[in-house]
Amino acid sequence: MTAEVQKYTLAQVEALEVAPGTEHENLEGWHPTLVTEDDLRDALAKALDYRGDVTLTLKSGERIEAFIFNCKSGPTLADSWVQYYTPTAPEKRKVGYAEIASIEFTGKDRAAGKHWEDWVKKYNERKAAGETNIALAPDALE
Amino acid sequence: MAVPISQMGTVASYVLKKRFTGVKRYPLVLMLEPLFRCSLACAGCGKVQYPPHILKKQLTPEECFSAVEECGAPMVSIPGGEPLLHPQIVEIVNGLVARKKYIYLCTNALELKKRLPEFTPSKYLTFSVHLDGQREHHDYSVCREGGYEIAVEAIQEAVRRGFRVTTNATFFDGADPNSVRAFFDEVMGMGVEGVVLSPGYSYDKAPDQTHFMGRARVRRLFRAILSNRKPTWKFNMSPLFLEFLMGDRNYECTPWGMPAYNIFGWQKPCYLLQEGYADSYKELLETTSWENYGVASGNPKCANCMVSCGYETTAVIDGFGSLKGFMAMVRGTFSSYRDEQALKLLNETAPHGNLVQITEPEQALEETRA
Repeated sequence: MTAEVQKYTLAQVEALEVAPGTEHENLEGWHPTLVTEDDLRDALAKALDYRGDVTLTLKSGERIEAFIFNCKSGPTLADSWVQYYTPTAPEKRKVGYAEIASIEFTGKDRAAGKHWEDWVKKYNERKAAGETNIALAPDALE
Repeated sequence: MAVPISQMGTVASYVLKKRFTGVKRYPLVLMLEPLFRCSLACAGCGKVQYPPHILKKQLTPEECFSAVEECGAPMVSIPGGEPLLHPQIVEIVNGLVARKKYIYLCTNALELKKRLPEFTPSKYLTFSVHLDGQREHHDYSVCREGGYEIAVEAIQEAVRRGFRVTTNATFFDGADPNSVRAFFDEVMGMGVEGVVLSPGYSYDKAPDQTHFMGRARVRRLFRAILSNRKPTWKFNMSPLFLEFLMGDRNYECTPWGMPAYNIFGWQKPCYLLQEGYADSYKELLETTSWENYGVASGNPKCANCMVSCGYETTAVIDGFGSLKGFMAMVRGTFSSYRDEQALKLLNETAPHGNLVQITEPEQALEETRA
């Protein structure tokens, strides 16, 4: 939900006809420059919302491809961590904010192109071309 | 009455026991997501947009059972993803039935007809089939022509085999109330036990953020749909929750009432928002700032949510937690909700084309006509 709603009173919220939604950023391919602690926290918060893998480079030089799904943002970097799955390991893993040197949004954004309008456009085009049994297929698992 | 007496009795005694023992926060329904993989690709769905390695992961039956036992909810809803894609779904269902949990297995029914022989009818097992409206509305909504036909065949076969079956529908902006009412006629004619419904909600993870109704529009739509009910219609939901959707009741969200558990853990704070995960249900209860959620909290993420996973628990607790609530529930169960104003709303609704038409997002804030 956008910040717009924060300006409303509860009575105004109750009277909403159309709900203003969240504007998702296009993050695929983003490689933020991390200068300050806030830069890192901001980038990891975005990674938590991102529907694709990211690549973390640790201060040790290790690179980790990860789907980040959880975090604890504590008062200091030492108190903060992200939790993730990698494409190859079955278990959940954690890494501390303090260990992270950089983050790149390297994986495909799996939510991109999944808007209602995208479907309506595809449907109309395929219908106009005479296609029948029109359907969207789930993304391939490989 | 759509919900069997034995199930109502189980829920009522559970709520009363919690009330008498002073437990403030407890789960009514566990939303158990054994996997996120799905055989449909519905536009706008925020539940299945994950990289392949996440879509390939799934909970083991043991993980499912320990989640159910830890939280103790009397009912378990199994959404996903498509649960029938889980290779051990029969084992999971049988294990939950053995634990006397009332299960709602939510399915798009593409595989249901073929898989029915693997399941055993039980009062504890309900197939909750995703149907978003009449044929063309449903097919358009799930982005698959022919999907309705497959689902209906599966429903009819499941009913024939003696399974409990409900349909579940989500309605978005542009839904035609007259068509929805005709849809109720259709599904009740298939022999289902009842209908489950909910308004859509623009939760952050949904890729599509522009076709969700605000609360005033939700109330007007559901007042048009749910007033002047036909006696043949049954709803597998709390009557008080339906009154909430129609604008007759004000409820606050009970986010801890339908906790979600999946491959990431116990989801904070609810089934639709993803603001972190806990390793246990106890940790979820203890570490979530519950006061930050629900429309009254002022959290903008909750501003237009009226969905069942947040508000139906409130209605159920209201209905079983006091004599006044119980009487209202009984009245609601047998009322047709006659309402001339709602009839006018129905008549004012221009018939749509043969597919769901999405209205252009209008000015965000306007006076409600409800």
